[in-house]
Amino acid sequence: MEDKASLLDGSLERFTRTQALLLSALACVGTTVIATPMLGYLDQANIVMLFLLTVLLVAVKLGRNAAILASVLSVLLFDIFFVPPRFSLAVSNIQYLVTFVVMLATALITAQLAAGLRQRAQESQCREQRTQALYQLARQLAGTLTIGQVVEIAQAFIKTQLKAQSAILLPNEAEPGLTAVSQEAALPIETHLALVALESGQRVRSDEISGMGYAPLYLPLRASMRIRGVLAVRFADHSAEPSDDTISLLETLASLIAVAVERLHYVEVAQATEVRMLTERLRSSILAALSHDLRTPLTALVGLADSLFLIKPALPTTALETAQALHEQAARLAGLVANLLDLARLNAGEVTLRREWQPLEEVIGASIKLLGSALAEHRIKVELPRDLPLLHFDAVLIERVFCNLLENAAKYAPAGSAIELAARQDGDTVEVSIADHGPGFPARRRDELFKMFVRGESESGKPGTGLGLSICKAIVEAHGGRITADNRPAGGACVSFTLPKGIPPVIEEELP
Amino acid sequence: MTAPPAKVLIIEDEKQIRRFVRVAVEAEACQVIEAETMAQGLLEAGTRKPDLLILDLGLPDGNGIELIRDLRGWSDVPVLILSARSQENDKIDALDAGADDYLTKPFSVGELRARVRALLRRRARSGEAASPLVEFGNIAVDLSRRLVTRGGEPVHLTPIEYRLLSTLLGQPGKVLTQRNLLREIWGPSYIESSHYLRVYVGHLRQKLEDDPTQPKHFLTETGVGYRFQP
Repeated sequence: MEDKASLLDGSLERFTRTQALLLSALACVGTTVIATPMLGYLDQANIVMLFLLTVLLVAVKLGRNAAILASVLSVLLFDIFFVPPRFSLAVSNIQYLVTFVVMLATALITAQLAAGLRQRAQESQCREQRTQALYQLARQLAGTLTIGQVVEIAQAFIKTQLKAQSAILLPNEAEPGLTAVSQEAALPIETHLALVALESGQRVRSDEISGMGYAPLYLPLRASMRIRGVLAVRFADHSAEPSDDTISLLETLASLIAVAVERLHYVEVAQATEVRMLTERLRSSILAALSHDLRTPLTALVGLADSLFLIKPALPTTALETAQALHEQAARLAGLVANLLDLARLNAGEVTLRREWQPLEEVIGASIKLLGSALAEHRIKVELPRDLPLLHFDAVLIERVFCNLLENAAKYAPAGSAIELAARQDGDTVEVSIADHGPGFPARRRDELFKMFVRGESESGKPGTGLGLSICKAIVEAHGGRITADNRPAGGACVSFTLPKGIPPVIEEELP
Repeated sequence: MTAPPAKVLIIEDEKQIRRFVRVAVEAEACQVIEAETMAQGLLEAGTRKPDLLILDLGLPDGNGIELIRDLRGWSDVPVLILSARSQENDKIDALDAGADDYLTKPFSVGELRARVRALLRRRARSGEAASPLVEFGNIAVDLSRRLVTRGGEPVHLTPIEYRLLSTLLGQPGKVLTQRNLLREIWGPSYIESSHYLRVYVGHLRQKLEDDPTQPKHFLTETGVGYRFQP
């Protein structure tokens, strides 16, 4: 089959049209020359057979036009040289007309059949070649490691197989729309049409723009999960309509590219996940080690400084003052370390909220109790509406927020002034505010207050690290709330934060 | 003062922490026994019969919670836990297993001495016959007649409120975990319904505290449970 196909194909490629006609004429003349000496021995009917054979061979070898020429020439030559009266076109016997008609019909039918056969063979060979090429392409694409390689391979394929220019457009993560993956000789793209192809998942064609040098054909790269991008193609012969075969080849190609792009996407996702997991594991083990290794000596330091007070006989006053200072400094350091570790854990997303439905009142009371002597010089006024619903929050973390905010207020507001704690319902949130009568926040840097290590007054004599508000922000935001810092019109700072209300669980009334 | 000094067993692996805890406990006129590991601690607890156990939850050779469970099998000696702030769950588990109180690192010697004193006092009192009369602030509770008065005026409590009150009064000073209280008062199927407990503690505070937002007797141990402070 293959041999025959190549034979047929070869004959066509070997000769041009004129050459084929000349050869056809030569074959007929040759047959006449060979048959003339046999006239004495052979019957005319058998000589016709020789001409018929010639027509058949010409039809098979040289195509339809040559075959028609051969049949007409054969009839003429047979008539002139073999049918009496010889050397004239006159036909004495009417029965030779049948010979002519049969000859002509044979020539036409044979030529038609041969031509059809040749075309089919040619087509199947072409298909086979494309299949082979597609198979090669699929194999190459399966081995790709980057999108760049995929594009390179696909472009080379389209260039050799279809003699066309192409570009692959992929959605960009940073911005909406499509961007072409790097290409050397840039093919102008009509982005709008590419987007239509991406969104509709249909092939888009526009011949109008191809004359202007734009790519006229856009195919969506459809993978199993979703459309991964668009393949734009511009044929060298851009006026011609691409055949169905070409279109279906391009569609197969598009799906092969899509699969490769999708595979690379998942490889990327898997790699990113693994890196993230490793990072997280490392971070949490560092945090755990740090928190243990820092806390243990600090606990010892605080306690040992304290234990100096218990030595009998008592140490001189100056030594005890030093011990007290040691205790305070170590406790401050412990507070700083706790804040830093908390913030690191919150930022790392390591903290899982243990949310429970509970009254706000309780955590406020616990915070005030926990701060104890730090609030001794201030009056704390708590004003909560009686109908405040239960809220869904992590008590330990929200206690940290209250402690930080109350501690801040106590630190900056003058001794003896009031710190006011209030809450009100506002739509689907509850807003809590803590206000003092201190100097307030400096207007200049208010929006930066919640950043790490930013303090209201940079050269303040008050101890502090500027971590408190960042922790509050992280905790409140983890609960789905917002936190803002403001100054009250009457003077003094006011920090407010919101907590979402949600739908509290029903408490069954107790039977009396 | 003819009574022998109370014996306190300290189980802590860090030498420097052990050292100042010893100083603090000795300042309370107690005799100190030290142990570095869980195994050694359990052995000392069995042989020396201490009156108080101070236990670090982060021991290298095992989980302190296991030790408490073991210990509770044969002893009701009070247990004070030392724990880090990030170990909230361990703390709760230890309290559920039978520990009495906890201190979060870092803590001051003053706090430690106060806890030690309270626990030893409670242990000394546990031998006495329990009185049905409990008084705190201006509140008087007669457990035998189920009567609660505030400044002489009777206070009406619902059955659940009363049960919660009597449970809390039954173990003054001890931290009772949420799980513990929920199981005791509402039953095992309510263990996850902590909002019930919170709402009813709120009721008790409304009825029995001078300032419910800053309670003096029904104290919240945030994230852990409640403590009744007479």
